Amino acid sequence: MNRIVILIGLLLLLLNCKKKEGDLFSNPPSDETGITFSNTLTETDDLNILDYLYFYNGGGVAIGDINGDDLPDIYFSGNQVKNKLYLNKGNLTFEDITDKAGVGGNSSWNAGTVMGDVNGDGLLDIYVCAVVGINGFNGYNELFINNGDLTFTESAAQYGLDFDTFSSNAAFLDYDLDGDLDLYLLNHAVHTQESFGKADLRYKRDFQTGDRLLRNDGDRFTDVSEEAGIFGGVNGYGLGIAVSDFNGDGYPDIYVGNDFHEDDYYYLNNRDGTFSEELKTYFTHTTRFSMGNDIADINHDGWPDILSLDMLPEDETVLKSSEGDDDVQIQKLRINQYGYHYQFTRNMLQINRPGSGFEETALMSGIAATDWSWSALFADFNADGEQDVFISNGIPKRPNDLDFINFVSDEQIKKKIDNTKLVDQEALDMMPSGRTHNFIFQGLKNAQFEDRSRDWIARDTLVSGATALGDLDNDGDLDLVVNNVNSEASLYVNQSGPDASYLKIKLKYMGKNPFGIGTKILSYHQGILQSREMYTVRGFQASSEPLVHFGYGSTENIDSLRILWPDRTTQVLKNVTPNQTLVIQQQGGQAFSPPWLKPNKRPLFKKVEGNLGLEFVHREDPYLDFNRQKLIPYQCSDRGPAVAVGDLDGDGKEDVFFGGSKFDPPRIYVQTDGGFEQKKIESIARDSITEDISAVIADLNKDGRNDLYIGTGGADFYNQMVPLLDSYFLKGDSTYIKQALPDSFQNASVVAPADFDGDGDIDLFVGNQMITNDFGKAPDSFILLNNQGVLQRVENEDLENIGMVTGAIWDDYNADGTPDLIVVGEWISPVFFKNEGGKLVRDRVLDMPVSGLWESLIAFDIDQDGDTDYLLGNWGLNTKFKASGKDPMKLYYGDFDNNGNTETILTTVKEGKDYPIEGLKGLADQMVSLRKKFTTYRSFAGKPIKEILERDQLKQAVILEVTELRSGYLENREGKFTFVPFPMELQVAPVMSFLKYDFDGDGTEEVLAGGNYFGVKPYHGRLGAFAGAMIKGKNDVISGDRLGLDFIQKSVRHLNILTVQGQPYLLATFNNDASQVYQFINKKE
Amino acid sequence: MKKLLLLLILISVGCQKNDTPIEISPELMHSNVDKVTEIMIHDIFSPPVASRIFAYPNIAAYEIIAQEDERYLSLAGQVHELSPIPAPDAGKPVNRALAAAIAHIDLSRRLIFSEEQMNTYRDSLYALWSEQNKKEFEASRDYGLEVAEHIAAWMDKDNYKQTRTMPKFTVNTDEPSRWQPTPPAYMAGIEPHWSKIRPFVIDSAEQFKPVPPPPFSMEEGSDFYREVREVYDISKKMEVEGDESEEVEIAKFWDCNPYVSVTRGHLMFATKKITPGAHWIGITKIACRKSNSDFNETVHAYTKTSMAIADAFISCWDEKYRSNLIRPETLINEHIDDNWKPVLQTPPFPEYTSGHSVVSGAASTVLTDIFGENFSFDDDTELAYGLPVRSFTSFRQAADEAAISRMYGGIHYRAAVEVGVKQGRDLGSYIVNTLKTENESQLAQSK
Repeated sequence: MNRIVILIGLLLLLLNCKKKEGDLFSNPPSDETGITFSNTLTETDDLNILDYLYFYNGGGVAIGDINGDDLPDIYFSGNQVKNKLYLNKGNLTFEDITDKAGVGGNSSWNAGTVMGDVNGDGLLDIYVCAVVGINGFNGYNELFINNGDLTFTESAAQYGLDFDTFSSNAAFLDYDLDGDLDLYLLNHAVHTQESFGKADLRYKRDFQTGDRLLRNDGDRFTDVSEEAGIFGGVNGYGLGIAVSDFNGDGYPDIYVGNDFHEDDYYYLNNRDGTFSEELKTYFTHTTRFSMGNDIADINHDGWPDILSLDMLPEDETVLKSSEGDDDVQIQKLRINQYGYHYQFTRNMLQINRPGSGFEETALMSGIAATDWSWSALFADFNADGEQDVFISNGIPKRPNDLDFINFVSDEQIKKKIDNTKLVDQEALDMMPSGRTHNFIFQGLKNAQFEDRSRDWIARDTLVSGATALGDLDNDGDLDLVVNNVNSEASLYVNQSGPDASYLKIKLKYMGKNPFGIGTKILSYHQGILQSREMYTVRGFQASSEPLVHFGYGSTENIDSLRILWPDRTTQVLKNVTPNQTLVIQQQGGQAFSPPWLKPNKRPLFKKVEGNLGLEFVHREDPYLDFNRQKLIPYQCSDRGPAVAVGDLDGDGKEDVFFGGSKFDPPRIYVQTDGGFEQKKIESIARDSITEDISAVIADLNKDGRNDLYIGTGGADFYNQMVPLLDSYFLKGDSTYIKQALPDSFQNASVVAPADFDGDGDIDLFVGNQMITNDFGKAPDSFILLNNQGVLQRVENEDLENIGMVTGAIWDDYNADGTPDLIVVGEWISPVFFKNEGGKLVRDRVLDMPVSGLWESLIAFDIDQDGDTDYLLGNWGLNTKFKASGKDPMKLYYGDFDNNGNTETILTTVKEGKDYPIEGLKGLADQMVSLRKKFTTYRSFAGKPIKEILERDQLKQAVILEVTELRSGYLENREGKFTFVPFPMELQVAPVMSFLKYDFDGDGTEEVLAGGNYFGVKPYHGRLGAFAGAMIKGKNDVISGDRLGLDFIQKSVRHLNILTVQGQPYLLATFNNDASQVYQFINKKE
Repeated sequence: MKKLLLLLILISVGCQKNDTPIEISPELMHSNVDKVTEIMIHDIFSPPVASRIFAYPNIAAYEIIAQEDERYLSLAGQVHELSPIPAPDAGKPVNRALAAAIAHIDLSRRLIFSEEQMNTYRDSLYALWSEQNKKEFEASRDYGLEVAEHIAAWMDKDNYKQTRTMPKFTVNTDEPSRWQPTPPAYMAGIEPHWSKIRPFVIDSAEQFKPVPPPPFSMEEGSDFYREVREVYDISKKMEVEGDESEEVEIAKFWDCNPYVSVTRGHLMFATKKITPGAHWIGITKIACRKSNSDFNETVHAYTKTSMAIADAFISCWDEKYRSNLIRPETLINEHIDDNWKPVLQTPPFPEYTSGHSVVSGAASTVLTDIFGENFSFDDDTELAYGLPVRSFTSFRQAADEAAISRMYGGIHYRAAVEVGVKQGRDLGSYIVNTLKTENESQLAQSK
């Protein structure tokens, strides 16, 4: 029955596809084109996905003109079927010349294929990768040397390229810049990955699985992997390979995408024939099941960015019935114990921040989830000047289906044990199909992408893999050729109209590299930079036509083209007319010395060596909130340390107080001549059990000496545990003496001092974030009224009910001369309290409530109109959280299983319905009853919260909402405030702290913002890409990496100004990291 | 085989006329227990949770038959917090055995996840009984369900629900002796709070607290290191002897791992078997059949054995998360051989003591008390999982073999096995000596 329904569904889908053509691409049928190649897989009992893990990875495709008629030809490699070469006869018709050309191949199992001029005779040769030595596969990698007469001679052995290993793909590059093309051979492991093994397995070379770097020595290739520092371990599941000059030094670097737990490799060329692998230095995290990848400069800064593909589904049903990311503790184990880097299951878009690493923005950019993805290819398909991207997709069977793993497979495996392999096919039939349509995204400004899969291309149900680009019909736009599993190959013919200007460039370079592989081209028009590199091996198991293509929209003149040849000569073409194919010969070039592009840096900050003696390293204790409150959306135990700057020893100089984490005492650094030294104050150090989140240094008892108040939290201590109580020390004659405080067993987040009642002493606002083991319930926040140094709590119901507070400032927003209180927090809208003669009254001054995960705030006239606006740090957009006024993110809070403990369920909206972010396993770990309600994953998958919880459970739920995730500011409009979001560059991670100061010495103040946050489960990744930023005005933001700040991969908690010998310094304090001190390189703008 | 038996019961039931009393054979009880076992395998329950699922339905059945059968004494007042079950209405034609079987089914249904499967089983039986003697069936059903409700209310207070929301096990690799997740699934330690479950007979989870394991030390020559090395050496010796060796057979026979996860590339699957507790429940069935036990005797044997197994898990888990000892696989990979894999997949919880050893010690002691010393039997419990029949001369011998199998399997050190089986026997003896289930005057008469 089910099968019939599915069949009918499939038929309907097929019919639909036939009817609807893509707007931008058409798919001419094979009886018109003549391309009938189909990578047909023959599953047998001995050979299927159970026996070979990459059974479904597909073949390869390469595009290039093999006979010099300027019509690009197409070569396909097949896994089990013969390879095919199609000669382009013009008008999108092709002739199969495989047999005549002698390129059908002889290996049992081929993978990727690439074209390149191996012998430098100006003719494209063909290299075919083979998997040899398992499952009875024999043969070797074949090299078909082009004889120039439509015939080829297989010569792999002669060139030393006849490898009989587990090859995926190969890439041409001239890594030693000696003028000929070397080869990087990408191999994949097949070794059982039942245990991770240590990461250093990669140092032990393995013949069959290890990657190789092969140096072209004229008539032979020499394996230089070992001496060049290329890993070759048994753990390298190499599926993606890209070559690019990532650091702009003129030498090609290499990015390798590895499947499973092995890290991707980021090889920087040392310019001496060797490479250094530096992934961990430059990347906060990478794809986990890395598949194909591609390189392009998508943000017009001249630097190559990286898109690496993974397999995160967008569809709720598929998402919730597939195996997802690691458990948080297993991830820790893999990183700390086994030595791997952070990897997450989704696509990663790595934006190159030269000199500082890569800023990962796939979630924010809208291309994080494209299901089981193989090839990514950037190109300006609609020729509007922005890079678009095509992603091929699909798998015949989803082997990571949770029902298959848990409930179906057992029976099948048992039979297999009984009858050897005879029932594999039955087992396979039990896996759901993963035939997802291909994706195409339109590139927009600011590294944003819009899914155009519904209109640019026809929605298919094919299993598409290797893909190549070329201008098959020579009409000036880029077409696509896709190698499909079990179906004919697809041609995507680009129909972009004449209104979009383009430029096609072919290079004629010297010597043994006639196609100019490794050449960079910079194009300038109307002040816009576009850059390209000539590398043909891109995407997945494929190579594209050796040409460079630019789109220009309606532009009619290209101001200049700069060609940077691999031999470090450059030539410039001025005022180029678009809509033509330029053949650029290397001539009259001027020598240049790299870097070919200088990072756009204007440092304002410089790290002070020795940190002025402030060698404070915050070490967070290993407490994991998710072990106790399994369903909370993020941690609360990692919000420290507290930092306070003030004179503690009475010598008139500023000292620094750093709060400790649990069981780690606070540290005090006193200022000496020109620096700081640590000083132990016994009574304060004794407070080592507490976790200190916020601190204030001020003279609270008005005796002329500074006192200390510490707000403690940590989200670990609970009920009436003493370490939850804040600490209050008055400075006596010799030391600090602990004072009594009213009881408040809560997790403090902020302590804000001000003389709010105008009686001449300083009072405190104490904001609390949460109640341990009861996330979602609002803790009390309150005022401590100062009465001659004795702090007394003032009852104020409005304050008590604010919610989960994270930040507060005193500021006279209504300009009546008394300080008012503004409070922000998570799951609430900012709250303004008007000071009415010493009484705080809630004031509704927002034109519309804007509920966020607010983490920080500061007063600043950002629009320079003379009144005070308030900058607000929020969670940002580079996250799996989603929220808007129309579709709020919700937190359902209640004791849903009636066991006396509350739980929370977080939901986001997809197509109008609230879906929990946690899957069945996560939810049922807490609420076992769900296992009875949903006995399979499929029965749970795709269900909104309303169908998961019972009506009475829903009824008792308290629902908190977030309607805004963007950081931004409250614009002061004559005393009323309106939320205005910041530009995209301030949305890459949570903004945790602000600091106002005239950093650049231009006489006006700027605001420095710092952020990043790591207290989330692996499903959410690692919110660590924010480099900090200086905000000068509402559209004037400078990224921290350009200013000399080292904030990427670090989670900022506090930014402070220190004055030492009259000089200002910036103190940056992080959670679980070493503090940094910067001096200012004052430059007037 | 199972299905055939069920059919036979059903046919025998079906042949009778509409108002003759419904006869309940002991095979119905076996069939009930088999059904729960089968659903548990599908649903995947960890061994401690599975032990709880066996115990409560058995107790419900037992309390019903003990009301009428003078050979047996109620557990009310003997096991923790159990109050006497309600008596049936005097005027109603309640068939105790039938009510017991129905209560068993109903409680089982509450405890497993896939209720649908249990409902199908129940409904087919209900239909037959109803046809055979509607009055008696309905009276017995109503009473059975009433008792099930009573037992369920008691069960509800055993802290199971509360332990679901208690903290997960915290992985901390700084402490070298501390248990760490193991390949291939690297699951976090399961049921770290099982010791907080209310036991049935024993005073507290700590009552049979074993001696601590040898002090952790990877110094060659230390007691602990010698035990690690022994696990490795045994496995190497077995490797030489091959898959046909007695040790491999023993290890595999007693694997009893409800969820062995297999990973091949993106393809993952699980092979599932019964738990150690379920294996001893299976042996109980064999013993009942061999001794021609009647329905009530069968219920008694299941009940006592399953309570011993459940208390054994509580006792064992208490020690596991006290000593939090690291598994041989982690240490051998780290210190001796980074390619080594145990014959059995390492289960996801700390090493000391061996759960199978404790459970086998406890169950075998109770079974010996019921069925006698030197009770020989052919154990075909694992046939359905592709494993052969093994023969034993006594329950004790089987328990000793189950214990040592964990060393052959490469998942336990010697101390966990030897101390574990003793821990189980002590606990079993305590149950045998403390819990009065058989009416001694009656026994004296029959003997």
